[in-house]
Amino acid sequence: MKSFLNLTFFVKSPFEKLALGIVVFIILISILGDFIVPYDPTQIDFRGKLQPPSLEHPLGQDGAGRDVLSRVLSGARLTVLSTFTVIFVVLVIGCTIGIFSAFAGGWIDNILMRIADIWLGFPPLILALGFAAALGASLEAAIWALIFSWWPNYARLSRMITLDILSKPFIAGAEVLGVPLWRKVTFYVLPNAFDVLIIQVALDVSAVMLSISGLSFIGVGAQIPAPEWGSMIADGRAHMSTAWWVVVFPGLAIFFSALSFNVVGDALRRELDPLLRRV
Amino acid sequence: MHYFFQRFVFSLLSLFILTLITFLLSQVVPGDPAIVAAGPNAGAEKIELLRSEMGLDKPLTQQFLIYVGKLAQGDLGKSWFTHQPILEDLIRELPPSLELVIIAMIINLMISLPLGLWSARYNDTRFDSSVRLFAMIGAGLPIFWTALILQNVIGGELQLLPIAGRLSFEYRAFEGHTGFFLLDGLILGRPDIFFDALKHLILPAFSLSLLFTAVGLRITRTAMISEFQKDYVLLARTKAASEPRIMFKHVFPNGAPPSLTVFGMQFGWMLGATVLVEEIYGRPGIGRYAVKAVTQSDIHAVVAVVLVVGVVFLLANLVVDLLLYILNPRGRMDK
Repeated sequence: MKSFLNLTFFVKSPFEKLALGIVVFIILISILGDFIVPYDPTQIDFRGKLQPPSLEHPLGQDGAGRDVLSRVLSGARLTVLSTFTVIFVVLVIGCTIGIFSAFAGGWIDNILMRIADIWLGFPPLILALGFAAALGASLEAAIWALIFSWWPNYARLSRMITLDILSKPFIAGAEVLGVPLWRKVTFYVLPNAFDVLIIQVALDVSAVMLSISGLSFIGVGAQIPAPEWGSMIADGRAHMSTAWWVVVFPGLAIFFSALSFNVVGDALRRELDPLLRRV
Repeated sequence: MHYFFQRFVFSLLSLFILTLITFLLSQVVPGDPAIVAAGPNAGAEKIELLRSEMGLDKPLTQQFLIYVGKLAQGDLGKSWFTHQPILEDLIRELPPSLELVIIAMIINLMISLPLGLWSARYNDTRFDSSVRLFAMIGAGLPIFWTALILQNVIGGELQLLPIAGRLSFEYRAFEGHTGFFLLDGLILGRPDIFFDALKHLILPAFSLSLLFTAVGLRITRTAMISEFQKDYVLLARTKAASEPRIMFKHVFPNGAPPSLTVFGMQFGWMLGATVLVEEIYGRPGIGRYAVKAVTQSDIHAVVAVVLVVGVVFLLANLVVDLLLYILNPRGRMDK
């Protein structure tokens, strides 16, 4: 519970502090996004087509004269919000299935976990591509597609934690006292699972983010002119040899967000993971 | 034998679930597939004809059985747009993709295994931290962006490697027997073809492998670190066994299996990730085929790619697991 007293206890090195700073910055931007952008991110300006970085447009202008800085900033909202949506829904669905499976036990548990095992293996990008194709290309489709392919991770993890907790003596005590099932889940399992789940979430953010922007890049996610980082890169491809800024800056945005979330996730794991601490 | 049987049943079960997923995928298409397939100008009769031809008037379970029956005969359906049998398309598109993935996997293994072993041996040194930093950076780079940057800088600006395609312009008439140009170059005794194809593979394979290398490197390193902490290493050291002997003769063979399982899974994932690379480098392959099919909402072609990638994935895992079982005498003793 120390995480609630001092929210930054887990970052140790300056490198990790910088990463945490970037993570906070990205989340802030994705909330404030539209209030702080210098220009309308979808405003077309043909006179400013493919202008290099200047004082008025620090990151240059894209093929339709849209301001790249504004697009990168408001892209944070689309990319980060859709990433968090995927992770939140997957967390809820996965944990429900996993905890249910652990409590049910027996053949139900067996079948659910076999399905999760098999599902987990399939290449997530190609599975998501299949779902996106079936649902039609849009950012929502890409989000659903990723939810479909990501849930087994959390089902497996939450089942494992639940089984571990169910073997503890205090559950036997609760059993004797006649504690109802919903209380066991909300007061015994979930608080104990919190640490492990938060680590998994932090480490999954970058993978989901890369998948969303990848799907948008190949055209099954966000559509132009929506300022999503992946679709911005797809849009800028044609101009890359003459106007590098159209492709480089959204890519750097993806890279630094993914890297920072990874570094923070790693630091969290080092400090919180009971399995790692034991070794 | 017990293990072989179990492993085989697991693969069959996976195959069943895979076909179920792909079948359901082709069912959730918005709109009536018969109307879509018939085109905008078709009359009601034509639509009805197509409906019964596609088996859409039958109950869902029966449709699934028909689907499985067709799959067993190698019938993946026809592409709605090219009106070609999808199987023929895939047979043509798979070899270039496999060639790309195999080269990417070789790059992955050549970096992950030695660097993982060395950084585990020199755990917590400056060398180790730079290896970990490399892995961190690799895990954050979007594959498609790296591919674009490398293509433009190394292929375009510096002109060190070809920008796109499978072979140079002067070999445009070349047609091999196998579809694998590297293999063809060797079989036909044409080293020029072999090296030309290899040169065209380096950039796409490297961009494809980077993300997977970062993961493989981390897993190898973690596995090797826990191996170095085991008692037999201490024993070997007290017996004054040389450090290379400890590393290559003792630690590496014992620590490699968990990472090999991951590399087996990565093979299928890489094949899936070709959708991000092939189009950029203008290479034919199932990745580019899938992207084209998606943008044309050619659902059956996409589903077929999902199926094929899934099958390759299952096969790669099966092979790795059986290989590990044969190599590891401990597993054999258990049963």
